[in-house]
Amino acid sequence: MSVLELPSTREEAWRYADVAGIATAAALPRDATAIDPASLFLDLPGARILIRDGIVDESASDLGRVRLTHVAAAEHALGRRTAGPGWSLRLAEDAAADPVQVVHLATGGANHLASEIVLADDATATVVETYAGAGWSNRALSVKLGRAARLMRSVRFLQSAGFQSLREDAELGQGASLVTTFLGAGHAGSRIDAQLIAGEGTYTEYGGALLTADEQRQECAVRLRHAEPNGQSHQLWRAVAADRSAASLAAAVEVARHAQKTDGEQSLRGLLLHRTATVNLKPELEIFADDVKCAHGATVGELDARALFYMQSRGIPRAKAQALLTRAFVADALDRIGLDEVREAFVADADAWLERVL
Amino acid sequence: MLKIENLHAEIDGKPILKGLSLTVNAGEVHAIMGPNGAGKSTLGYVLGGRPGYEVTEGSVLFRAPRHAGLVPASRATSDTAEQSWTPEQARGDEGGEEGEWIDLLALEPNERAAAGLFLGFQYPVEIPGVSNVQFLREALNAQRATRDEKPLSGAEFLKLARAQAAALEMDAEMLKRPVNVGFSGGEKKRNEMVQMGIVDPTFAILDETDSGLDIDALRIVGDGINRIMRRPDKAVLLITHYQRLLDYVRPDFVHVLADGRITRSGGAELAHQLEREGYAEVAA
Ligand SMILES: Nc1ncnc2c1ncn2[C@@H]1O[C@H](COP(=O)(O)OP(=O)(O)OP(=O)(O)O)[C@@H](O)[C@H]1O
Ligand SMILES: [Mg+2]
Repeated sequence: MSVLELPSTREEAWRYADVAGIATAAALPRDATAIDPASLFLDLPGARILIRDGIVDESASDLGRVRLTHVAAAEHALGRRTAGPGWSLRLAEDAAADPVQVVHLATGGANHLASEIVLADDATATVVETYAGAGWSNRALSVKLGRAARLMRSVRFLQSAGFQSLREDAELGQGASLVTTFLGAGHAGSRIDAQLIAGEGTYTEYGGALLTADEQRQECAVRLRHAEPNGQSHQLWRAVAADRSAASLAAAVEVARHAQKTDGEQSLRGLLLHRTATVNLKPELEIFADDVKCAHGATVGELDARALFYMQSRGIPRAKAQALLTRAFVADALDRIGLDEVREAFVADADAWLERVL
Repeated sequence: MLKIENLHAEIDGKPILKGLSLTVNAGEVHAIMGPNGAGKSTLGYVLGGRPGYEVTEGSVLFRAPRHAGLVPASRATSDTAEQSWTPEQARGDEGGEEGEWIDLLALEPNERAAAGLFLGFQYPVEIPGVSNVQFLREALNAQRATRDEKPLSGAEFLKLARAQAAALEMDAEMLKRPVNVGFSGGEKKRNEMVQMGIVDPTFAILDETDSGLDIDALRIVGDGINRIMRRPDKAVLLITHYQRLLDYVRPDFVHVLADGRITRSGGAELAHQLEREGYAEVAA
């Protein structure tokens, strides 16, 4: 087995990264788990892609408009490992596909896969991705949105062990819209590493909820660059950390010199369920234009003790009261998911996490 | 129904209650009046079990005559569910089959609620992101579960909640809103009474439920307290600064709480005397 070359946490972008966790995940023994992939697909029409240990299982998939092809790998420490065959969703002008569901099932060891979503002008797509199983699942995704194209994407990390790492590069053409929502509600570590370039008059939502417990580490490092005027972006992230776990949110907004009238919002909030847990928040604004509206907020807190007592005094057991308040805390992030079935499934995953941890 | 004996309690090491004793029987309404900072709310919080309120001495015993939430283990399986009541038994204070004294202070706040205790807050708490309906249905069903009763379905609960809101002339739309968020002072107090109507407790401690209410609301809330709580098998501890609420909910006893203990007790006329003469004169 070759020696794993991983980034160093001395590099700023990898400061909070759980590099040791990736190495451990990659070394997890193979174990064809008894997870039934059918239980991970939602009841939606459209394509269903089952990926087992980084390889598309064609016999168990309904590819729809997805093609299996060589996808160029990202220029990125982890992303470049995905070079090779991958999946591609390309939609022509004005096309609208049924939702595409992708289930990534890992059974130990390391697996890598590249993918791309390319939407021509005015095309619309919805993609729902679910990670389950155990091992190191490493992915790279390249997104290119044409003029007024729209992509709605929801991703949930439900692996029971190991690590999920994602490298995403997105370019939004004029008036395009990208709405991406993540939920980390499994047992495994995760890292989301994203570089988004927003064109003129674009709309970008990029955020989600990371729920961590035990010794788990989850983090995101997002850089959104408004390259052209009139863009609007919202990065709304919620981190909930229990036990000795750590969640880290680093979100940067960069506004180029001529990207006037940019409206960029960052809302990073952390909730500590135990004093032994950690939430790191790092909002960053780099504004080179002068006529912009950018707001950022970053706060870490605990559950409101007065609200907990109020709920308990009405008969709600403490753990249930904590769960209700925590669910309300992450609701903002999950409410962004447009499709009811998807949002409800994600909320149910968050509830299951609360049930397990509290 | 409630026996408080020589209760001492402190907050952050500061003694607030300093030897308070009080007995409340089923069927009674006791008013508690007293100067600001005397420890009235502290008494409510200690009875409710708020963390940080440490009892250093004394005891609180509670005995619920009806649907006692915590059936003593020795009787958990006996077949007393469908019995009829003598007036003494209904009062809960004459022994008999039902009602064993429980050590209230040993229970978690939610267990106290399930046992029949209700605390109406002087400052009801806002809970963003949790609707009134969701909050109260969780609360009621958790209480019912403790009492081995079936949970209410969404529809059954809504019917009950709407009826209670209507009885207190609260717009049913407010049930959908997050708990107390953006409610006016008076609306919050009215919402406390809607909650009380829904969980239907046996013992209520109402901490200045009257303050913040307009003249009509005061009458509506007073009627509500009578309707929900004025029964032979229930009792109320009414903390108030004003005689006016006592015109609607007539107390059997009035006590003055000053500097952490009861300094004077009397009948309904004591409230009038306090209003005329002030605490310094009457209960120094
Ligand atoms: N967290 C706290 N730390 C220290 N002292 C406190 C704390 N909370 C309350 N107290 C003090 O305890 C005393 C009793 O307060 P309490 O709220 O019980 O008074 P009260 O009789 O209800 O007054 P009011 O009529 O104004 O409502 C007051 O002196 C108050 O300042
Ligand atoms: Mg008070």
